[in-house]
Amino acid sequence: MGVKKFIENVKVFLELDEFKKSSKKKSIQALLKKLNIKKEEIHTSLEKVFNEKEKNLLEEELAIILIHIKNGEEILDKLNR
Amino acid sequence: MLRKILLPLILSLLAYGFWISPDFKEISAGVAIFLFGMLSLEEGFKAFSGGALERVLQKSTDKLYKSIGFGMLSTTIMQSSSLVSVLTISFLGAGLIGLTQGIGIIFGANIGTTTGAWLVAGFGLKVKISAYAMPMLVFGVILIFQKSKGLKGIGYILAGLGFLFLGIHYMKDGFEAFKSTLDLASFGGTGLKYLFIFTGIGISATVIMQSSHATLVLIITALSVGQISYENALALAIGANVGTTITAIIGAMSSNISGKRLAGAHFIFNMVTGLIAIVFIHQLMYAVDFVSNFVGIANDDYTLKLAVFHTIFNLIGVIVMIPFIKHLVIFLERVLKTTDRIEHMGCDKVRYLNDSVLELPTTSMAVLIKETHHLYQNAFKIISHGLNLKEHHVLSPMPIEEVVKNTYTKHPIDIDAYYNCNIKNIYGEILDFASKAQTRMVAEDIEELYQLKLANRDIVEAVKGTKHLQKNLIKYSNSSNPHIKERYDIIRRDLAELLRDIHTIGSSYKEDQNLLLLAKSKVHIEKYDIIANGTLDKLIRKHLINNEMATSLMNDSNYAYNISKNLIEMAEILFINEHQEMIMSDEEVATIVKKG
Repeated sequence: MGVKKFIENVKVFLELDEFKKSSKKKSIQALLKKLNIKKEEIHTSLEKVFNEKEKNLLEEELAIILIHIKNGEEILDKLNR
Repeated sequence: MLRKILLPLILSLLAYGFWISPDFKEISAGVAIFLFGMLSLEEGFKAFSGGALERVLQKSTDKLYKSIGFGMLSTTIMQSSSLVSVLTISFLGAGLIGLTQGIGIIFGANIGTTTGAWLVAGFGLKVKISAYAMPMLVFGVILIFQKSKGLKGIGYILAGLGFLFLGIHYMKDGFEAFKSTLDLASFGGTGLKYLFIFTGIGISATVIMQSSHATLVLIITALSVGQISYENALALAIGANVGTTITAIIGAMSSNISGKRLAGAHFIFNMVTGLIAIVFIHQLMYAVDFVSNFVGIANDDYTLKLAVFHTIFNLIGVIVMIPFIKHLVIFLERVLKTTDRIEHMGCDKVRYLNDSVLELPTTSMAVLIKETHHLYQNAFKIISHGLNLKEHHVLSPMPIEEVVKNTYTKHPIDIDAYYNCNIKNIYGEILDFASKAQTRMVAEDIEELYQLKLANRDIVEAVKGTKHLQKNLIKYSNSSNPHIKERYDIIRRDLAELLRDIHTIGSSYKEDQNLLLLAKSKVHIEKYDIIANGTLDKLIRKHLINNEMATSLMNDSNYAYNISKNLIEMAEILFINEHQEMIMSDEEVATIVKKG
């Protein structure tokens, strides 16, 4: 067995790559959780706000958060594959 | 000058010695091989210090006892207090640890280095270690020729150990043969006079060999064959401890202020320890006998008793000095001050870059990030003042309209002078350091380094943009035309808001909030681009501003847009650490702008 293969086997045995992946997953999941809470908060605020300017700002914020959530979910999908 | 005379003198003396005594030649060759082994061992550990060791050092030195423990353990494992000292100086210079922690590591290293005496006295002399040396050298050299950095490192460690063992073997053989022609012990004696003489010899030997470890091994091997007496060996060991600080001081002369302070602490510690050992030599010898009896060391096993002595007197030194560490730090900071000419002229200089960390890729990256933060802070001040804003107002919770109203100056500031003094030299040194550090980095780190260079370039571009923007900004902010004044105040307000947001991002660890703030800023600069949204056309069409004003406003809006872009891109690299992939792309920003 070559040295490289041996190192690879040790890495697989110790699940070093998996560890990196799982910590990345955890941090993305935590971020998504926060973003989803923020999304719900904006939805609630939007129902209460009648001022057009404020409404536009909230909608803009919501659009940004939705993009972040979409990006986060895509990264999570890649990690799960 | 001294070195120019000293080196030929030592070489001539050695040559003469080799000519008259083949045994002396063997002992000297043993020392040379031993020292080469230490160099090889250090090289091997350096191959592994590009990450793990640095991370351990960073995490395990927040408390004094941890620093001492780290110094002790790492020196025991690597058998090289000088490598630990170099690492400590690097970390200190990089601002990653404080002087107190650095001193703690050095204290620990002093205890750790005593394990060397135990290994040589307990193992090296009792076993035929040259038998282990040969295979180690063969395997080591084969591995050194491998491409893999890890294998190369293992190779250097194996070869280093092999050379150490071989060196000890030659020293031992040489002393044994030497005994038949000349009995060195006959030159020794007891009493205060010989205590000082042999301490002096120990100091000189360590200064010449640049290694207390080598001196100690030489003492132990000479002691094992009865070439020196036990009492004289103790004095030599004290001398070796004091001599090693002189080596550290010589090394620190070319180092920065942190290195000098640490060498100062090392010198004071070892001098105090040496003095204690000399004054209480009889009590210490009694303590050695007591401990030796207790652990079962034979009364005539002087080599192991020397190891006990070495450990006890270094331990006592640490115990005595621990309560005075704070005073030592204050004293060293007062005595060894930074005397930089540029600083005295009111200019800023690099704070963290230090060539001694170049061999440690992770630390190099850490100091580059810190220095970039430093550059950003300088740029923040210049940009704030260039926008005629007071920096402390931008950083305060004061309403942004108020911040814009409270101008910094009535006349343009000399941004060129600020740039030359506080940006240009630091930026230049960052680039220079980065290119040197890059040679030791792996592909992944090089990519990170490239991003960091981009962040630095963004900072510099933002300052340059502010310089161009400033001239008209001051002029039109005080204009009697309310329309042009309003537009320039909006430019100032938008940039002030962006500076404040970036400051919030830089000082917060909430990545969700930071991502949102940055995305909002990105959308904002696209949405409120007056060229794109038609505001400028409207002002010209309605003759609210003249042609000159229109040209200035168009150019300056472009400058403001570029400054904003530079600052945002810099913040994305510097302040978004974990979730870089989540950052909104330009296309995504464009979609939101379109919707709005």
